[in-house]
Amino acid sequence: MKKQFFLKVIIALFIMNTSLVIKAQETEQSPFDTLANSVNKLKDDMDLLKRIKISGYLQPQFQMSDSNGIASFAGGNFNANSDKRFMLRRARVKVSYETLLSQYVFQIDATEKGFAIKDIYAKFTEPWAKAVSLTVGCMNRPFGYEIGYSSSLRESPERGRMSQIIFPGERDLGAMLTFQMPKTSKWNFIKAEAGMYNGTGSGAVDFDYKKDFIGRIRMDKSTKSEKISYGLGFSYYDGGYRQGRKNVYTNAADSSGLMAFVLNNDTTNYGAIAKRTYMGGDFQLNFDLPIGMTTIRGEYIQGQQPGTSSTTASLTTQPTTDNYIRNFNGAYFYFLQNIWTTKFQFVAKYDWYDPNTDVAGDVIGQTVKSSADIKVAKTGKNDLKYTTIGLGLAYRWDNNVKITAYYDMVKNETSKNVTGYTKDLKDNVFTLRVQYKF
Amino acid sequence: MKTKITTVLIIVTLISISAYSQNVVNLKIKGSDTVLPLSQKEAETFMKKNKSAKITVTGGGSGVGIAAFVDGSTDIAMASRKMKMSEKLKLQDAGKAYKEVVIANDALSVIVNPANKVSQLTREQIEGIFTGKIKNWKEVGGDDEKIVVYSRESSSGTYEFFKEHVLNNKNYGTSILMMPATGAMVQSVSQTKGAIGYIGFAYMEKNVKALKISYDKGKTFIEPNVINAKNKTYPVVRPLYYYYLTKDAAKVKTFIDYILSEEGQKVVNEVGYISLK
Repeated sequence: MKKQFFLKVIIALFIMNTSLVIKAQETEQSPFDTLANSVNKLKDDMDLLKRIKISGYLQPQFQMSDSNGIASFAGGNFNANSDKRFMLRRARVKVSYETLLSQYVFQIDATEKGFAIKDIYAKFTEPWAKAVSLTVGCMNRPFGYEIGYSSSLRESPERGRMSQIIFPGERDLGAMLTFQMPKTSKWNFIKAEAGMYNGTGSGAVDFDYKKDFIGRIRMDKSTKSEKISYGLGFSYYDGGYRQGRKNVYTNAADSSGLMAFVLNNDTTNYGAIAKRTYMGGDFQLNFDLPIGMTTIRGEYIQGQQPGTSSTTASLTTQPTTDNYIRNFNGAYFYFLQNIWTTKFQFVAKYDWYDPNTDVAGDVIGQTVKSSADIKVAKTGKNDLKYTTIGLGLAYRWDNNVKITAYYDMVKNETSKNVTGYTKDLKDNVFTLRVQYKF
Repeated sequence: MKTKITTVLIIVTLISISAYSQNVVNLKIKGSDTVLPLSQKEAETFMKKNKSAKITVTGGGSGVGIAAFVDGSTDIAMASRKMKMSEKLKLQDAGKAYKEVVIANDALSVIVNPANKVSQLTREQIEGIFTGKIKNWKEVGGDDEKIVVYSRESSSGTYEFFKEHVLNNKNYGTSILMMPATGAMVQSVSQTKGAIGYIGFAYMEKNVKALKISYDKGKTFIEPNVINAKNKTYPVVRPLYYYYLTKDAAKVKTFIDYILSEEGQKVVNEVGYISLK
């Protein structure tokens, strides 16, 4: 009986105590506390969501060329029987996740031609000076200005011919170190990047043991009045390809003194590296003038490019034919003029690409003679220089929509010794593009 | 007949509503913490006169305000510095033409705790303190007390103006304490004996002391006040800006005209800034 009574008392005390605790907890939470807790929870969730950024753009366009089936760098070659086309030039979606000291980026391109991965990389910044970052994965190569400049911002529809030939697809797989002091430092205007890459581009598996070094240093400043800004950059590429054959051709005079491709068939050439070296300099100037913002931008690159007899483009697979090594140069210059304070912008661009600076004009394609000592091959259509003048007008509707009308006037070097290239080809292209950006 | 009258009445009503709605001022203003108290006071007095007007003002810093302006989430950006070229290029890319208006001037003041016996410093001494070379008040004629340096965050226009015009573009020292807002800086300096910071003149309070500054290596020390700022003897005076889109000129005109009017400029002086006239 006594035992039962005590048990009842203990249970009653326990229940009372529990209800008091619950009551106490309830009374401690004022409406403001509850609201503050909810706001804090929402803030935490928002902070997390803010780390995820989704962006992208679509570039549907209509193009007309001078003649059917032209080879073109204004969005790829035209089909054999076509001189007009609609196409989805780019359709990109980029997702990035950022924390204070790291960034993870994934970008795809999905067009009528298929699905391609553009960027997949992670970037980590050291926590002390916050000046050095390591980027690993598939990313833009740190060479020059045009390669890394987003297609959504670029004023001309395409990069110059040279950029497309020496850096097809722009990206590559590798690891890069970046040095840039934080924004609070007076040295923030200098940025240095250096990395090691496969050298075969983003869509290809490396086929040799050689890894390529790419380095770039740039500075950007503006005047005190914020009316002029200027930038300067220098880039260097030191790479190469494994030669799959012993036959290597370089430019030199044949036995009669004519410039030709001269053969070196030393057996040690097989498996050796054909050097791929580029050097480049670029500049950007922006002026805030009463007639509107003016931009002048230029870049010059020269170097040595290993290729084949049929292409000077950077290789993505082991060549199965003889190796041809050429000295090349190229450049582009932009003049951009905002028309007063309207939404219109005038665009002018001049670019050239000379795939073989050792030969020019009628020397290209001329018949050359081999002798007992010197075996030679003649140059050809792949050694011709191209210049392009582009004129355009852009209308920036708002933050998201831009309409561009652009005309590319392509001029090829002519030679009476190259069939089909004795005169300028009819390969100008008009592009009308609408860009939707989000 | 009845139908015709009804139709006319509806049209007249619609026209009246649309005409009325065009006159209604509904603005979002964002940016500089320095300009914030001025914009708040101007908006307050303006809304008292224009009952239908609705103006919301938020701070965050000049950089934050201009970023919001570029992405279209504010009608007016307040800034205590000029718009940078990189920001202008972003606006250009978005096809946005803008206008810049100077609404007032500010005498940037270097403040210390009232208990500090130092009441004047040369520009070079201030540079030494903020870059970390001078660490104790006794080095500049004060007590043997460690200097606690406060600065605004790098997104602040005041941060950049101070760095450019007072520190001669030298880097802030590594031990400075970053303050998210000017109000927080005033509070911290008022509570810390060895503290030093810098603020827009309108934030000046009795619980902090403004230093006289010399820009001629100690020959003359000038006090930050309206008279010295107006006669340009005080050396650290800067304009305060509003930025708005050209297409929004009609929308913002009434309010900006008010700020630039005699009445609006009177408010500038009341808040503690320097009027344009």
